Amino acid sequence: MITKVLATLAVVITGALLLYGTADFPAFGDPHSPASAGVEGGAPSISQYYITESYGDTKVPNLVTSVLADYRGYDTMFETVVIFAAGMAIFAILRVFRDEDDLEPNPTHTQGDRFIDGDHSRIIVGTTVRLVVPVIQLFALYVVAHGHHSPGGGFQGGVILGASFIIIALATDLGNALSRFSEKSYFTLAAVGILIYAGFGVLCQVLGSDFLDYGVLQKIFLTDGPEMARSHSMLGVEVGVAFTVTGIMFAIYANLSSRGTLKSGL
Amino acid sequence: MGSQLPAIIVLAPMFGAMFVALFGNRDHRICFPIVVASLLVSLFASFAAAQQVFTTGAIDYFMAGWEEPIGIGIHLRIDSLNALLLILICTVVVLVSFFSIRRAGDQHTEKTPQFYILYLLLCVGLLGISITGDAFNLFVLIEVSSLTSYGLVAMGSSRRGTHAAFNYLLMGTVGASFYLLGVGYLYLKTGTLNMQDIHTILQANEAVRDSNAVIIAFLFILVGIWIKMAFFPLHGWLPNAYSYCPSTSACILAPLMTKVSVYVMIRVMIGVFGVEWIFVHLGWSHLIVWLAVAVILAGSMLALAQREIKKMLCYLIVAEVGYMVGGAWLSDPNHWGLTGALYHILADAMMTLCLFLAAGVFAKRLGAIEIKDLEGLFKKMPVTSVAFVIAALGMIGVPPTAGFYSKFYLIRGAIEGAHWEFVAALLISSLVNAVLFFRIFEIAFFGNKPAESYGHDDHHEEEETVKVEAPWSALFPLVASAAIIILLGLFNGPIVELLRESLDNLPSIVTTQAD
Repeated sequence: MITKVLATLAVVITGALLLYGTADFPAFGDPHSPASAGVEGGAPSISQYYITESYGDTKVPNLVTSVLADYRGYDTMFETVVIFAAGMAIFAILRVFRDEDDLEPNPTHTQGDRFIDGDHSRIIVGTTVRLVVPVIQLFALYVVAHGHHSPGGGFQGGVILGASFIIIALATDLGNALSRFSEKSYFTLAAVGILIYAGFGVLCQVLGSDFLDYGVLQKIFLTDGPEMARSHSMLGVEVGVAFTVTGIMFAIYANLSSRGTLKSGL
Repeated sequence: MGSQLPAIIVLAPMFGAMFVALFGNRDHRICFPIVVASLLVSLFASFAAAQQVFTTGAIDYFMAGWEEPIGIGIHLRIDSLNALLLILICTVVVLVSFFSIRRAGDQHTEKTPQFYILYLLLCVGLLGISITGDAFNLFVLIEVSSLTSYGLVAMGSSRRGTHAAFNYLLMGTVGASFYLLGVGYLYLKTGTLNMQDIHTILQANEAVRDSNAVIIAFLFILVGIWIKMAFFPLHGWLPNAYSYCPSTSACILAPLMTKVSVYVMIRVMIGVFGVEWIFVHLGWSHLIVWLAVAVILAGSMLALAQREIKKMLCYLIVAEVGYMVGGAWLSDPNHWGLTGALYHILADAMMTLCLFLAAGVFAKRLGAIEIKDLEGLFKKMPVTSVAFVIAALGMIGVPPTAGFYSKFYLIRGAIEGAHWEFVAALLISSLVNAVLFFRIFEIAFFGNKPAESYGHDDHHEEEETVKVEAPWSALFPLVASAAIIILLGLFNGPIVELLRESLDNLPSIVTTQAD
């Protein structure tokens, strides 16, 4: 009881302070707010800079992508590392290698035999999933590639791609999904994704500039100027992000749904 | 293109982690060389960076080359405030990696690569936090270091460890969210995330500086960091998390997590809001120093009440956090309190490392979880006990260990800032530490038996003198950390001089108060 009272008190105080702080916020949507127009005494507004200059700098129409993958690409790389670390932590905590605790005597019929003979309800689900999965995966690749022009990019595309494997596991069983995307391959994919991202950065250093300064990659991409090199490199790092997210999404599902045994799943 | 050292320091362990992920599963023996190699790269790079900082001045590194206008890209900065901290972090993680050789393999042979991946990514997080000059990038790296540390704490086989990790996860997430909320408020008022830029705006623009939102932002950032550093009423997650997790995890987390959080607090105070705003405008100095006094006393008393070695050490960490927070908030005119806090980050990290390494060895070789199990320790493992004694003397504050000098500077700051309550708390805490550790020495040296039984059974005594000294992989980091504690103490003069370089151009608070 006393803990509940204290918790409520803490929540109320936190909320009250937050509300108190909002009192002298700029008005909602105010074009002259510090975040949009900059502050007197400070540097010129960075939002203005992004809006007016980012297309010229990077030739990427979607300025969210250019902020995410270029101006603040270093943050995004670590966001990918966060996802990778989450996958590793879940493996470290949940994964079990011994079969002692595996009480369910589950005959391992994989390769999708189970829904073809016998279990009729699975025929419909299984067939639908077979038809839908390629479309989902194609769409995922589209989302990754189209991040330059529309909402999307590596994180979203990677999640969709990972979901396509999860849906296979849900419709048939985990073994079936794992036979297509094994534990070894999803962790390799995840690590390769981050290496792609960081590799772009190091390549820029090797070519004589700062980490992730894609402009110098024009020597490799043979583009006219540094802008298109930036644009191409952003696609490259987005692919890296998509790799990591895909691998870790499925790794998390596989470990959670089978309690770390990777045996039967849901 | 300037010096590439800041990028190398942070990225070397990250590449190491990815190589472990790719090649470690095939042959686990390959993990350890990769780990040590990548951490040594960081260590040498941070030495080189420090050398550059102290000869030619701070290193500014703009990620992806986005330098102008300030704030569009991410800014890394190594100056005299964090140069030594980077060396400290690298040294600790290299030493602990040796300790991990057998530990990591003990219960989780199949998971050794994953352990090392989390370990290296934790290093990336801590180094990145220390090096960044961007308020949001700091949050991202807090996430990296927190997630990996939850994993490292939960990896043990005990259920209590998993439970503690879950508790830690909840508290840690609240802390990180508070920090993020604070940064969000700050961004709304200043329109930038670059620490230097925020600082200039707060200096130049009175309307922004005096607004409630900025005060609330500071409060939330402060409380968020306090949760991360286990400042007393918010310390609940720490003792269980650090005492029930695998020894190697404890050895890396206990010395570094809280200390890096203290650094973040000092960086935010000096580098973002500015001492003048903090001490003159806010005027919370007295309140927080009193809070720190309460923390020190509570931490010491709770440590006194513990029976388990690691639990006791955990409450000592809580008390030590009080030293550093109090020292940072002393607001004495010559910033001796801040100096003491910065120096104590280095000293306390090494002392905590040495004590936790020793506690790990006790648990492993003697099965000693409680203090009373340490009977006859000096005969069983002489080298380990000597290292333990040195670290313990450091905690008590006996010269020439580093612990003495950090207390010396903190007390000097407290006297100059007329915070007599802080002086008293430091002295009482030293006394409590003396009682705590001499109780352990007594048990370890003379045994736990009542005095009369002595001399009666010599026969029994001889049986006990079987040496169970720790393997070299544990002895090396133990002896090295003990040596560093003494070296830090002996060379305190030049080290403090280096640390004060960053404090010299801070405005003196007394003069501003007089205006």
